[in-house]
Amino acid sequence: MTLKATGLSAVRLGRTILHPTSLEIEPRGRIGLVGVSGSGKSTLGHVLVDDLKAQGASVAHVPQSPAEALDPLRSMAFHWREAEVAVGLVPGAADQAGLFQALRIEGGDLRKRPWGWSRGMQQRFVMAMALIGSPDLIVLDEPTSALDPVVAAATMELLSTFLDDKETSMILITHDLGLAARWVDRLMVMDAGRLVEQGRTADILERPQTRSAKALSAHRNWLALPC
Amino acid sequence: MVSNVRVKGRNRDRLRDVSLALSAGRTLAVVGESGAGKSTLIAAILGLLKPSEGTISWNGAPTRAVRPALVIQEPRAAFNPVLSLRRSIMEPVVAQGIVLTEGRLQRLCAGLELPEEVLDRRPGEVSIGQAQRAGILRALIAAPPLILFDEPLSALDAVTQKHTARLIFDLQKEEGFAALIVTHDLGYAVAYGDQIAVLKAGRIEEIADADVFAINPRSDYCCSLRDAAIALGSLEVAA
Repeated sequence: MTLKATGLSAVRLGRTILHPTSLEIEPRGRIGLVGVSGSGKSTLGHVLVDDLKAQGASVAHVPQSPAEALDPLRSMAFHWREAEVAVGLVPGAADQAGLFQALRIEGGDLRKRPWGWSRGMQQRFVMAMALIGSPDLIVLDEPTSALDPVVAAATMELLSTFLDDKETSMILITHDLGLAARWVDRLMVMDAGRLVEQGRTADILERPQTRSAKALSAHRNWLALPC
Repeated sequence: MVSNVRVKGRNRDRLRDVSLALSAGRTLAVVGESGAGKSTLIAAILGLLKPSEGTISWNGAPTRAVRPALVIQEPRAAFNPVLSLRRSIMEPVVAQGIVLTEGRLQRLCAGLELPEEVLDRRPGEVSIGQAQRAGILRALIAAPPLILFDEPLSALDAVTQKHTARLIFDLQKEEGFAALIVTHDLGYAVAYGDQIAVLKAGRIEEIADADVFAINPRSDYCCSLRDAAIALGSLEVAA
């Protein structure tokens, strides 16, 4: 099912931080929502999640830091049960073993509280919770920036492999076009609360049209190594 | 100069047999994951932690004597929230009783692309990029021979990061300070470091010139760091 949202907008303290925006997400689509700080990409992410949920779609959101998703006083088992109930499952019905194996957190002790797990494992646990019930869309907001690079790269790899044979679409929100370009096939570029450019990843990398896409593309990595 | 430094922790050594050389006008980038000992190293160089073995010195004197400056990760946390940036920036000058040469502040502001009127605002009233450039300005103002940068770019977006790195580089050419940059971003390290030191579990895993390291890291661990930097788009491999 293609997800459609039209006329998404947001106002904060009398200032428009997201101008009316419409977008479509194909099944299995992998989209990067990119822009510099304050361009409105996280706002669009939030408004989109709310709008699609109101339409009845199942949408999961993974925040930047697992600390935003996990209650430090509750066990991992508690969080898991809550996530199951939230998507209408009977506790214990989700394929926990399969998800944990796919994200390589099968060794984690569910009796522990979040801080008993490493941050990388917590973030993968949050992703596993988000994937319960095979949502139509998973929205990842800077999912790697709180992680060490080796852990971050492995997490993206595992998630990407898991999604390969699923219908679930993915939106990756990031300020880093270099990161997005590795994992998505379409890009949406935000600037000052507007969606200013969208297209295939390779096209935007090679032929960015707008000022912001040009800046993001020009600064997408630190160095190109000779192969 | 850091020689054979060991810093004991509660259960294990936080740094063990660490030796590094820093020199004027050069940049040493220290890369490592959380818990590798990067911040401990900075605290030891600043003189805030006493090594249980080894020595840390600058031209034979304790590093503390040359008042190395520090730029921290979170720009706004570096400033007193109720004072203007200008008051905070001038603190090292006042504390050390330095008389600034004519136009130094203006020159540094221009180099950091900070309009001077921004300095009269408070930290909460400027953008995070401006706050970080103000933090760099404060580090530079008293012309220390050594500046330590602890994840100086990780609070900034990808475009601002590259811009700020360039400004630091240009000012280093003018001012000639030695820089030690602690970062988890290998791309930044190889792009702007003259040398790369990889810290793992308190030990130096590998130390090499940046261009050599980028193309041919020796240990498996350093290869995995480079592969991760490529997977995250921080480094690109030319087609």
